[in-house]
Amino acid sequence: MAIAILLPVAAGILILAVRNYYARGAVVILTSLILIANSVFFAIKGPFTYTPGGFNWGLLITILDYGILIFYLYIGFSLRNWLVLIFAATQIIPLAYFEFVMKANIQVTPAFVVDHLALVMTLIISIIGSLICIYAIRYMYDHEHHLHLEKSKQSRFLFWLVLFLGAMNGLVFANNLVWLYFFWEVTTLCSFQLISHDRTQEAVHNAARAVWMNSTGGTAFILAIIYLYATQGGSAALSVQNLIGGGIQASVILLPIALLCYTGFTKAAQMPFQSWLLGAMVAPTPVSALLHSSTMVKAGVYLVLRLAPVYAGTYLSIIIAIAGAFTFFATSALAVSQSTGKRVLAYSTIANLGLIIACAGINTPLSIAAAILLIVFHAISKGLLFLCVGTIEHQIWSRDIEDMEGLAAKAPLTTIITAVGILSMFLPPFGMLIGKWIAIEAAYTVPLAAVFFVLASTLTIVFWTKWLGRLLQVLPKIQQPFEKLSPSYSVPLWTLLIGIFVVGIGIGPIYQNFLLAATNNVVSGNQIFALGLNNLILTSASLLQRDILGLFPVWPLYLVLIIALLMPLLLIGLKPTELRQVYMCGEQTGGTDTDEWLAEADKKTRFQLGGYYYQNALGEKRVNPWANTIAILLLAIMIGCGVIVI
Amino acid sequence: MIEQFLVVMVTLVCAPLVGGLLFGIDRKITARMQGRFGPPVIQPFYDFFKLLGKEHIAVSKLQFVWIYGYLVFMIVSLLFLFMKSDFLLLVFLLGFASVSLVLGGFSTKSPYAHFGANRELMQILAYEPILLLLAIGIYAQNGSFLISEIFKQEKPLLFTLWPLFLAVLYVLTIKMRKSPFDIATSHHGHQEIVKGVTTEYSGPYFALFHLAEWYEIILLLGIIALFWTNPLWVGILIALAAFILELFIDNIAARMTVGWMVRLSWSVGLILGILNIAYIYYTKGVS
Repeated sequence: MAIAILLPVAAGILILAVRNYYARGAVVILTSLILIANSVFFAIKGPFTYTPGGFNWGLLITILDYGILIFYLYIGFSLRNWLVLIFAATQIIPLAYFEFVMKANIQVTPAFVVDHLALVMTLIISIIGSLICIYAIRYMYDHEHHLHLEKSKQSRFLFWLVLFLGAMNGLVFANNLVWLYFFWEVTTLCSFQLISHDRTQEAVHNAARAVWMNSTGGTAFILAIIYLYATQGGSAALSVQNLIGGGIQASVILLPIALLCYTGFTKAAQMPFQSWLLGAMVAPTPVSALLHSSTMVKAGVYLVLRLAPVYAGTYLSIIIAIAGAFTFFATSALAVSQSTGKRVLAYSTIANLGLIIACAGINTPLSIAAAILLIVFHAISKGLLFLCVGTIEHQIWSRDIEDMEGLAAKAPLTTIITAVGILSMFLPPFGMLIGKWIAIEAAYTVPLAAVFFVLASTLTIVFWTKWLGRLLQVLPKIQQPFEKLSPSYSVPLWTLLIGIFVVGIGIGPIYQNFLLAATNNVVSGNQIFALGLNNLILTSASLLQRDILGLFPVWPLYLVLIIALLMPLLLIGLKPTELRQVYMCGEQTGGTDTDEWLAEADKKTRFQLGGYYYQNALGEKRVNPWANTIAILLLAIMIGCGVIVI
Repeated sequence: MIEQFLVVMVTLVCAPLVGGLLFGIDRKITARMQGRFGPPVIQPFYDFFKLLGKEHIAVSKLQFVWIYGYLVFMIVSLLFLFMKSDFLLLVFLLGFASVSLVLGGFSTKSPYAHFGANRELMQILAYEPILLLLAIGIYAQNGSFLISEIFKQEKPLLFTLWPLFLAVLYVLTIKMRKSPFDIATSHHGHQEIVKGVTTEYSGPYFALFHLAEWYEIILLLGIIALFWTNPLWVGILIALAAFILELFIDNIAARMTVGWMVRLSWSVGLILGILNIAYIYYTKGVS
């Protein structure tokens, strides 16, 4: 436990001290390996609980809580950003009220509960997060080299990156809501530091936006804690296990649960909060990769998913499903109009998080299973794609999709990996599609969500295909050998690439041995310690197996996979007798290695092609006002669901 | 096992034969409607073998990968239909087949292929939601996406899913590349000089495109036949009637713009589908 949470802190401080590129790299790699080993050890060991003793950890956490909030006040003042200031105050005042006026006793045992869902999360955080940290070693070196910085800030960057992993581990393990809140704030703090890392005006501005938006979530979190404590009498209500275990009647605590879901929505950048995650794109790419795949936004989904059994069967659940599905739809549409690679990825992340949240809201065993599958698949694919975009950026120094035209000829290896990453997001037989397939199947209980799923999944096809098309456009005769990548780039890339295939192919066994237990944890309200693990899993396991794996026609998927793997071999196997220039009404200049044609007065002119972005139909200016209005309404109804029950 | 193997073999061999024949009939009827005599019914096969014998000329090596992808995934989705497997997965696979064709267009630096590819993409945007809604409609009716479940039902789907049936006819027009929706490339070269997304395919590779289209027409008519599976011959008759109807529509309509197609499909088509599902939902409740 100490390794998962405290080691990153210690390693981070060590990294701050080490100024040498190689020594620092070694520390990061070592930390990553220990984290990965530790998470695998946890997974093998199975669920357990833990309460740290010997030291007043609660006091330390309280002090650090105030430290973070005062820091927000400070940045609010120094940036003259009133929103940051206001929402820092709305957190610090209730927190002080809670601790000094109410004199709350916040002792909860066990302090940490590691169940199967937490295990899945910690595996994602530790493995994918660590790979991204390794990638960042070289990336930040190149990044600063390109910016011609005099004073290196790589140590600082890696410090926050590694610290982030520790905070996330703490977040998924924490059973005490107050501690969960603390780790929640630490991730917000880390994201502020990482987004503002380049210290440009835009970066600082966007980082401040991330803070205030997440602070509204933090405020809701505090209010939920106070409400629970006050109405449910004491610290027992602050135990997550107690909440989801059905110990308290759901209708009584629906308001705090709605507030906590709101908090999850802010962190998962659901509409109308999408702008902070889009603004976060100014940061160096490893930050985006980390925020999008394994940390930060996944914390938001984790919270909503974790609370699923509490709001099961209420109107709140249906509203969450519809709000998530609406985000999935609206952001997929917005992604079509984006021409910057990272913004497409960002919108696609928000969309997929919407899908996961919608699955949590649909709240059947099948949909919860879909949500967990999607979390896993999305983390791997999105992590890979961001690292790819980062690698491309350091080859062509641009994030624009139009600049990636014909990348297949310039950087074949990166292109192939990116192409697989993109294909894994929306095509059979890869995992994301399987997740989507189960989601659509599960969605029938909330038909409106199902309709949004259908529309969004089509829009998804459109924007991925458009991007892939730009990458793969080539001239007949230009070919280059594979480029060489630094091992700090290639190791994470290859690992994630292999991960996509392993998880995609092994979905049956992985689901049965591992994710099924996590699904059970969520669905059954996680009473693993109260009821005895074996009984519970045995009874509902047989049910779930029939529901999900029974419907997987697994063999055709393998058939499709084999075909998909064989297709690239055609590239080598097929040899046309002749490669020619494309048809240009007889005005081409004749060479197969140029893209010139004879324009007016027979002047040789290069022709250029561009992608379509449908700005008039789906541009941000057109869609945002509508979509945000609807999203805000849905949020209002969501909170309203909690209020009306009282 | 042997039975399954037989189904696979029959699908692989018979589907293109029937498909090619249908296209021959299409050309004959179209010609008669236009007051021409028309080519012999087996003209598509003559064309196919002639194309196969041509030189292997290409403008990009990536092109073959994608045209093979188009063909192979079309066959796989047809197999899904004939083996009575999962309908939702079939729609996803059909989507991948179309995406392959789009990527084939994008993989060359040809303005015409790019126009065609972008339009094909918009066609996917127009028809894919309707097919997915059909899948949900089938699920709403039968409680399963499996095609084999449809065959077990006594009552034909057409009775409850007729609004979706109308919407699927719309899909058929788009997928058969008939006017007014022959946006990416038209089936007969009647309104265009440069053949859209297929511009850069020639010889044997173009023959593969035709072959894939033959499989595709069988798949589409098969999906329509699902609306009346008991007895199946009624469904097949409905499918053939739909086919003839498309030929009429083709000859009385002119090509419309991409935007018009997407708007029409996302308004009329989707509303039909959504109302249909909503109706089943409120009459049957959640299954």
